[in-house]
Amino acid sequence: MTMTLPERTRPASPSWPVRLLRGARNEPAMATGLALIGALVVVAAVPGLFAAQSPFAINSAATLQPPSAAHWFGTDDVGRDLFARVVHGARVTLSICAGSLLLSAILGGFFGLISGYFGGLIDQVLGRLVDVMLSFPPIILGIIITGILGPQMVNLVLALSIVYMPVFFRIARAGAMSEASLPYVEAARSVGLRDTTILGRHVARNVMPLMLTQYMILFPLILQIQAALGFLGLGVQPPTPDWGAILEQGKDYILFAPWISIFPGLAVLITSLALMLVGRALQRRMNSR
Amino acid sequence: MHKSIVAAIGRRPRQSIITAFTAAALAGAAASPAWAELYGPVPDAPQMGGTLDVGMLVEPPALDPFHQAADARIRVTVLIYQGLFYEAADGEAKPLLAESYEVSEDGLTYTFQLREGVKFHNGKDMTAEDVAYSYNYIRDPENGSPGAGDFAIIDSVEATGPLTVVMTLSEPNAALPMTLGNKYGAVIPAGYFDDENARTAMNSQSVGTGPFRLAEFNPNQNLTLERFEDYWEEGAPYLDAVNFAFLPNSASMLVALRNGRIDVVNLERPQDVAQVEGIEGLVIERFPSLNQKTVDLGSETPPLDDVRVRQAISLAIDKEEIMQAAIGGYGQVITTIVAGLEDRWGVPASELPFQARDLERARALMEDAGHGDGVDITLTTINGYDWMDPAAVTLKEQLGEIGIDLQIQRVDLGVWIDNFRSRQMGFTFNDWATQPDPNLLFFRHFHKQPEGADFRNWNNEEASELLARGRSESDYDERKDIYAQFQKVLAETVPTIMMFSSDHIVVRDEAVQNYSQHPTGWYYGIARTWLDE
Amino acid sequence: MGIYLLKRLGASIVTALLATFLIFALVRMVPGDVVAQMMGQAGGPEAEAALRAFFGLDAPIHVQYVTWLGDALRGDLGVSWTRGIPVTDMVVSSFLVTLQLGLVTLAVATVIGVPLGILAGIYEGRPIDTLIQGFNVIGLSAPVFWVGLMLLVAVSSALSWSPPLRFVPPTQSLADNAAILVLPVSSLALLQVAAYSQFVRQNVVSALQQQYVRTAVAKGLPTRIVFFKHILRNVTIPIVTFMGLILIQILGGVVIIESLFALPGLGRLLLTAIETRDYPVVQGALLLVVLVAMIVNLVIDIAYHAIDPRMRVS
Repeated sequence: MTMTLPERTRPASPSWPVRLLRGARNEPAMATGLALIGALVVVAAVPGLFAAQSPFAINSAATLQPPSAAHWFGTDDVGRDLFARVVHGARVTLSICAGSLLLSAILGGFFGLISGYFGGLIDQVLGRLVDVMLSFPPIILGIIITGILGPQMVNLVLALSIVYMPVFFRIARAGAMSEASLPYVEAARSVGLRDTTILGRHVARNVMPLMLTQYMILFPLILQIQAALGFLGLGVQPPTPDWGAILEQGKDYILFAPWISIFPGLAVLITSLALMLVGRALQRRMNSR
Repeated sequence: MHKSIVAAIGRRPRQSIITAFTAAALAGAAASPAWAELYGPVPDAPQMGGTLDVGMLVEPPALDPFHQAADARIRVTVLIYQGLFYEAADGEAKPLLAESYEVSEDGLTYTFQLREGVKFHNGKDMTAEDVAYSYNYIRDPENGSPGAGDFAIIDSVEATGPLTVVMTLSEPNAALPMTLGNKYGAVIPAGYFDDENARTAMNSQSVGTGPFRLAEFNPNQNLTLERFEDYWEEGAPYLDAVNFAFLPNSASMLVALRNGRIDVVNLERPQDVAQVEGIEGLVIERFPSLNQKTVDLGSETPPLDDVRVRQAISLAIDKEEIMQAAIGGYGQVITTIVAGLEDRWGVPASELPFQARDLERARALMEDAGHGDGVDITLTTINGYDWMDPAAVTLKEQLGEIGIDLQIQRVDLGVWIDNFRSRQMGFTFNDWATQPDPNLLFFRHFHKQPEGADFRNWNNEEASELLARGRSESDYDERKDIYAQFQKVLAETVPTIMMFSSDHIVVRDEAVQNYSQHPTGWYYGIARTWLDE
Repeated sequence: MGIYLLKRLGASIVTALLATFLIFALVRMVPGDVVAQMMGQAGGPEAEAALRAFFGLDAPIHVQYVTWLGDALRGDLGVSWTRGIPVTDMVVSSFLVTLQLGLVTLAVATVIGVPLGILAGIYEGRPIDTLIQGFNVIGLSAPVFWVGLMLLVAVSSALSWSPPLRFVPPTQSLADNAAILVLPVSSLALLQVAAYSQFVRQNVVSALQQQYVRTAVAKGLPTRIVFFKHILRNVTIPIVTFMGLILIQILGGVVIIESLFALPGLGRLLLTAIETRDYPVVQGALLLVVLVAMIVNLVIDIAYHAIDPRMRVS
């Protein structure tokens, strides 16, 4: 995992989505990535538009069918249409990943800002805790946490959010530290602004672009971990369609019905790829400033 | 499997004397030794030597037959350790380390005559002292054996001669010989557990009397057994060694099977057979089993505390469809007893209530129970039990027909066991096997507390009374009648819905000869297997 | 430097202690224990209580923790509750398997990834760079376990071959060892080659933008000399530190690959120990993973600190 921290960032304008779109024009890789992500978001938002069949309807007369005109991706062991499951799985998988990453950004960002801004004992304690969390292998951490909390989807999101929380913590902390030493913070203090206001209004806002970039960079990684947990049977509960869970189900039929494994795997691959293209373009932009 | 000539303990009540040697004489097969029916058919001209590679999906956590209840442990330890009896596939207990026994008139005193010339893997001779020690150890709950409950009816075990053991019971128990089989405990040298490290030492050195002894046991890798040269059955076993390879998923297992890395597999998922069919050099065989895949209905949680809801569920389930989804039809739909016991102890489905699917009646029962507008129920399944996922989604559809919205919750096995043991199982799939006797199948699970465990909070007086009677009755016809009544109560009040028994599908290399699969799923057959190389 | 080292070391020790506490608490928070596992659907309350006492599970939790920590500090991680083997032996022997897997993957990733990265960096923006970057993005996107599964099936169908089932250390038979490792290493290496080449490319590109490199090129120094003297020297340190990071990542992430290919490594040991609730083994294995990650991080930090004075500010 690579992570580059610029010394500091200036208050940004215009807003990042505008810059993003502007930049996409001269970067084909990024444009491809953005287009793919756009398509994925649409699919995840209205899966019913793309898959006519139900992702839940079982059909004991049509189990383990290879891909065909009727079932583009074939069917699984209880005769469900895999195309429908993969398409509907986009919503489940992507929202779990997006949600857990958002949670880790919020929690990591919050504690990171506090730690970096105030320093001292708080910083020491939080820093150690984060070090501990970072030294646990993510998949093992996921296994233990879903084991403790039980297998509900909420808990899966919680478990996943812990994995990358330290990364956001460190970014926010570094950002807050360098901001805190800048003249404008001193100035704000001297005119009587409270620490919470300074943190919330100024420091947080300046750290935001870095956090967003990191969010994009970590998204494909959390997607891989989510799929891996699903593969170990720790994903969402059946019959909810989820890419990792379909992969787990498919491994039992790998010699006989490999299509069950091929398509969700490709879905993970393409999604990661799109996210990575955008994430890297963003990172390049950050670094060049 | 040949029908035994030795009278089953149930069929010949009271004073019965059974010796393995008379059995051989009666069979008229002078050349055939007394143990002809143990473990599987004895081959005519087996080739000696060779190593058999067996693939296993579930690894035994340890090899201690006294303290480990895991089925994967029993599967392999039956080759290493032996009890007084062998649980023959047809439901009879055949003398193993015992040679014969007598039962007193009141059915409370059993006198066992032990087999002569039996040696332990450590070279010592087996005596009555060892037998008394072993069974006294396991029946004492202080020693923490999961089998202790099964032996609780034993009051005392004493060695009265060098090869004579007397057991006294607190009440008659027709299933005693079957209980003295090979599921829990075994005969080991007296005083073995005095050493505090003895339990785990069983993972590095075996102290049994079985045909194979432990060579090595490597975590997450393999278990190798080697031929025990001083084994008491002359000539047996035929293999030099057996190597169990632990494979963590069926994909690797099937790939290894196809490429000749393993010689024999008893498929955990029978439908996997489709992935190896038609491959040259592989032979596929099908054997009946004593396992059962069930839906358990714990009465501690509403709405399952209402018998009408349980009955409605029983009427809404289409077992055949679930079996098709779960194991591709490689099994047998059952009613109230496992497939392997159906012939001897079953009740015709037509005599059992709530068996045939009847959605009208099911909906009416739901209406009666006040759930006409539907109700949410959570079904628990276990991670790693591959049949449960397709079965769960199929069940969800079926119960949807009577207004039950089924939520599926898949938990880790450890969590599931914890819930089960604390009698908080709710609505769950279960997968369990039995020894071939109705008392051992039903008593612990269904007798009310404290005598039984009553995991499902059924607390049924009538059933408990029947189970108590069935346990002490020794006349086969009487017993059969008692257990038939019990099964009717079971079908009527639905603490569990037995769906199907999945067959054992064994895939073997054609060089593997004379392997038969015992219905328990335990690897007895390896003691009769040889390699044609 | 000395003070920095001391402070960093002190922090690491505090972190390690915190980690032991967390490890101990977390494994006990997962419902069900070894006794329930051993009993399954059998057994009764008396036998259960007796077994619980046998494992010391009836003692108050802080007493259990202090006992375990005390023993661990003396190098005794206890004995596996299911296997009876000393945890140290189990953990070390499985760690060696994982370590070998990690090191071989790392070697493959370095040998292939570094040249690819340099190539892409030097020819930034040219077709070859696009090609390599395309490979990198795909390599980084494909789920490792999925690649492994596909490889296993493809190789088995095409060659009717699959790896031997029993792990053999290289000291015993190099050929068998290689046969066992070829598929798992290939599955892991795809990702790591991509990550490595990606990382090296970035460093080469930024080295090329350095003033003195530009000057050297402008002065008309032969490309070869510029490459070896300036660029290579510039990217060596990041490459070495990146090795450490990749190693940590491999060690933490091999759980699934080890399970897929039936390798008796640390990840699989942890997985089965969690399943059987064999606390001493879970604790010992996790402790090792965490300590290795910490030590590698520490070494990287100190190395950076020694090399790059700018780092001393923090």
